[in-house]
Amino acid sequence: MNPKVKKLFTNVRIIILLIFLILSIVAIRPNFWNEGAAVRSILPNSSASLAQPPFPQPNPNTPPMSRERILAINNQPVVEPEDYYAFIQDIGPNRTLQIRTSEGFHTLVTAEKTETIVYNDTVMKTITETITVNETVNGVMQEVNKTVSRVVEVPRTETRSLGTADIGLRVYEAPTTNIRKGLDLQGGTRVLLQPEEELSAQDMEFLLANIKERLNVYGLSDLIVREAGDLSGNQFILVEIAGASEEEVKSLLARQGKFEGRIGNATVFRGGQDITYVCRSADCAGIDPSRGCGTLEGGWACSFRFSIALTTEAAQRQADATSKLSVIPSAQGSYLSEPLVLFLDDQAVDQLNIASDLRGRAVTEIQITGSRTGVSQQEAVFNTLGDMKRLQTVLITGSLPVKLEIKKIDAISPLLGEEFIRNALLLGALSVLSVAAVIYIRYRKWRIALPIIVTVVSELTILLGAAALIGWNIDLAAIAGIVIAVGTGVDHQIVITDETLRGQRIFQSWKQRFKNAFFIIMGSYFSLVVAMLALFFAGAGLLKGFALTTIIGASIGVFITRPAFAAMVEILLND
Amino acid sequence: MSEETEALTGWKNFYDTQYKKLLWIPALMFAVALFLIFLQYAQTGDFLYKDISLKGGLTVTVFLEKDISIDALAQDLQRAYPTAEVSVRSLTSLGNPIGFIVDSDIDGSQEANIEALISTLSSAVATPLTEDMYTVEFIGSSLGASFFKETFFALLMAFVFMGIVVFLYFRLAIPSMAVILAAFSDIVVTLAIVNLLGIRLSTAGIAAFLMLIGYSVDTDLLLSTKLLKHKEGSLMKRLMEATKTGMTMTATTLVTVTLAMIFSQSEVIRQIMIILFIGLLVDVINTWIQNVGILRIYLERKEKHALHHESQS
Repeated sequence: MNPKVKKLFTNVRIIILLIFLILSIVAIRPNFWNEGAAVRSILPNSSASLAQPPFPQPNPNTPPMSRERILAINNQPVVEPEDYYAFIQDIGPNRTLQIRTSEGFHTLVTAEKTETIVYNDTVMKTITETITVNETVNGVMQEVNKTVSRVVEVPRTETRSLGTADIGLRVYEAPTTNIRKGLDLQGGTRVLLQPEEELSAQDMEFLLANIKERLNVYGLSDLIVREAGDLSGNQFILVEIAGASEEEVKSLLARQGKFEGRIGNATVFRGGQDITYVCRSADCAGIDPSRGCGTLEGGWACSFRFSIALTTEAAQRQADATSKLSVIPSAQGSYLSEPLVLFLDDQAVDQLNIASDLRGRAVTEIQITGSRTGVSQQEAVFNTLGDMKRLQTVLITGSLPVKLEIKKIDAISPLLGEEFIRNALLLGALSVLSVAAVIYIRYRKWRIALPIIVTVVSELTILLGAAALIGWNIDLAAIAGIVIAVGTGVDHQIVITDETLRGQRIFQSWKQRFKNAFFIIMGSYFSLVVAMLALFFAGAGLLKGFALTTIIGASIGVFITRPAFAAMVEILLND
Repeated sequence: MSEETEALTGWKNFYDTQYKKLLWIPALMFAVALFLIFLQYAQTGDFLYKDISLKGGLTVTVFLEKDISIDALAQDLQRAYPTAEVSVRSLTSLGNPIGFIVDSDIDGSQEANIEALISTLSSAVATPLTEDMYTVEFIGSSLGASFFKETFFALLMAFVFMGIVVFLYFRLAIPSMAVILAAFSDIVVTLAIVNLLGIRLSTAGIAAFLMLIGYSVDTDLLLSTKLLKHKEGSLMKRLMEATKTGMTMTATTLVTVTLAMIFSQSEVIRQIMIILFIGLLVDVINTWIQNVGILRIYLERKEKHALHHESQS
């Protein structure tokens, strides 16, 4: 037996299989004892978003094992999400929490949640305010600021404490592998939207960015927003949000979205009605040709500019709001004392300095500029254009290019997902054992049954490794794809075994035996692939996952695991 | 052992000599299946029973380990929604109740409608249902219809592509067509049986039919290669070898599928497995009787043709 073992581990095809197995395990990075509560999302303006240092908003492209995990709060260990929720449940307001995570420490202070009740009766209240009056000083008319007190009648209000405000961290069980679980397996909401009219590629791109931006404002960052189409040319938008409940998502997507630009307390314009045009073409948007890029403190800085058009009413409001502001000179030019703050659904998302020459003037065509830095010129350009695009998106939001219709909603409970995974693992183990049993009954040789088990398990591992590497989600459709890929894999191993045994009987060369077997295998492989390609492009992308997994799985089988299986059989059966 | 061999020889002999007569079995099966499907179409206006995922509507799956009367629940719902089409199915795992599924044509794009349905269900089963305990799926009716149309078209494309590949592989028209015919017949006959069983197909069920193509092509390519490409041994010997390999392939899959059918908690997976189970059995007939018959007639004619040519020259 010993020389055979040596032969096994020196065979090129088996070595290739082993290399792929190792790579897959590295990609999957299994650690079944991974502890803590992984951060799913951070609510804006919550204690968590104001933590020192602030929690970075999780990026959906981050591999699961590289996500930030909460390990302890004030030295109390957090092993699972329940520990986290139990701890924060009875924490009072204005307490300082030291949170230890996989990335370091964050310190945050819990906030108090208050409620203000407005009563019908009124009370008298003394207020002080600053007013500007025209006064003659030394015979010259001047504007003078004066502080005056007066008594006003206001409705009686009462502020009550409602306990501790939401810390703003959404957590889930620490992942144990880099395999991304689809919504069916981890719970969450999937919505398929259809625009009411056909969109150009550019409009679609902006619509997707819009939806993403608006969901991000609500702290929903673990999401997929992508375009899906079918063969008849219907356009769909698929939104998948892990861990979010259906109500949350639907109310967000159904709402038109509110966008406002404010200067001080005055609302200057609202999205959808006051901004008539946002320039996105190269002639009036992009890197500012008059300022361009330059070096700055060892790095690079670039400026962008794009123009927007306001209605005359909005321009007038802008003139009114800026007329009272003072001018602050700075190195980059002089600006007004109050910036223009952009609000998306009442959350401040960005602010812009207003050039001093706009003060008090009702201008309908406004140039918006800004700058960003980067280590290299290329990075600076990339950052600047990214910023510009985001700003344009915000400015257009609220005036979504079209109305969206909800076509499909799936809301999957996270508990069911867990149950499903356990069940899927049981089914997987049962399948491997039953295949081995049937093979053993047919051939009565462990030298055939064992390589088949090894091959099936390897095929599964490499498939999951590929999935972890590319970052594609394993959902129900993908599981069906895995079943067909591994199932036809077993079929082909039986073909290889039978051709080998037959070749042994009629004294055929090993080469001829494999040629016979692989003729059948390649034929069925090509047929399967073309059939799946047809599906790949159909049906609003609902079958895409299935088709893709089947194609990748079958390819791994044909090019990696089946040649290795043939080598194993050749070595083990050669007496 | 010898007795068994003898019995097998008798059977083998019948299989060897009567392959033309045996062809009636798949032919009749195919014709009856087509007839049933068209009958279904005439009666219901559809080739198959579609569930909500294909038809459009609202599905709520509730997981509740409690003995509840499905009939009583259905009556309660019918009373609450007199105009809607509502049906209730129970959900079991190894015979124990684990919940139920409510299918309806209620418009799920209105939030209030879903909330109303959940509260009706909560009072009907006398348990407050929390968000963890149920899963909601809503599909707009136009999407269901367009998905179905798309998949149908994709299936057609899949057959055309496969036909081209198999033809390029063997460069023989009749055997290539036989492979496609077998896959097509697998789908048609399985669909007729699924209809007879009254199974409502979901999008996952459609995927199962597509998986069937993969298994079907495997056995047919094995057979075609053995009969057309290999030259060692007699035709019957090669055929028996192919049958043995093919039956092992089908047996492993059938055992796996059966286990998955019994132990799966997911309704979706179970439907896939039921369809595969039926399809694999149908494929045994379509490969080892129909395709064998067609290929043998084809080889016979080719031989005669060759002899004819020889005598002429």
